[in-house]
Amino acid sequence: MADNVPPSGAAMTIAASALRAQQARMRVIAENMANADSVSTTPGGDPYRRQVPVFTPMTLAGGLRGVTMSKTAADQTAFRSEYQPGNPSADAKGYVKLPNVDPLVEALDMRDAQRAYEANLSVIENARSMQSRTLDLLKK
Amino acid sequence: MIVQTSLTMTLDQIPLFAMLKSRMGYLSERQTVISENVANSDTPGYTPRDLQPFKISMPTSGSGGAGGALGMAPVQTNVAHLSGVAASVGSTASNGGSIAQAWKTQDAPDSDTRLDGNKVVLEEEMMKLNDARTSYDAAVSFYQKSMGLIELALRTPGKGA
Repeated sequence: MADNVPPSGAAMTIAASALRAQQARMRVIAENMANADSVSTTPGGDPYRRQVPVFTPMTLAGGLRGVTMSKTAADQTAFRSEYQPGNPSADAKGYVKLPNVDPLVEALDMRDAQRAYEANLSVIENARSMQSRTLDLLKK
Repeated sequence: MIVQTSLTMTLDQIPLFAMLKSRMGYLSERQTVISENVANSDTPGYTPRDLQPFKISMPTSGSGGAGGALGMAPVQTNVAHLSGVAASVGSTASNGGSIAQAWKTQDAPDSDTRLDGNKVVLEEEMMKLNDARTSYDAAVSFYQKSMGLIELALRTPGKGA
């Protein structure tokens, strides 16, 4: 990175990659929330498993280190199980496996994503203000 | 604006401008590094980086030109003066006005490490970012003021502003 000067929009490019990653994370959170009660279609089968986003640094053009959501990984927490003998998804003993999604955890994760998103927006705002300050030099 | 003589005069040969240019280059580079930290604020095991502190180095040899060595040193003209020696004040951008200076980055972990090994604290990065922006604004203001001084010197006497 040191041997080529990044373009003036370097900071914005990096922040934009982070905005995309945080958007993808929001999508995963939304999927988890939506499937918080999705049970198996077969008796005794596994329900929806919570997905967690995996962020990795991504090298952008010019050697800049942005970020990307490389994949989603399955949350290995045990499923909840509830005694519902009448449920079509219940196993032989009458227990239904429920997803390992905790809406409270998802809500907190959502706040975290929002905070990171705002931080990156403020980076863009900062970069923009520095650029316009430089352009002001021409206005005299 | 600059009077062209047989020796081409550029703004970079004025130490103040060269220093400001170098400073502005440093600050925008720093902003890039900080934005990398903010972007990776949720990447497991990520350690934030920062540029090494800004310092002005002596001009590289062979830059020559009308300015020659752009270093400045205070002169004691009175015994009451402090014997301070200005440490290597000069220009880093004297080699043809290039600002392609390699500022070195170093790991700069914030005050807190999360369980996933991420060492970025958003608040601290925001502080650094604001610091860079404020310093940048200051440098630009200095630049404008200095330009104003040159314009003042070039103005025809007796004609108002």
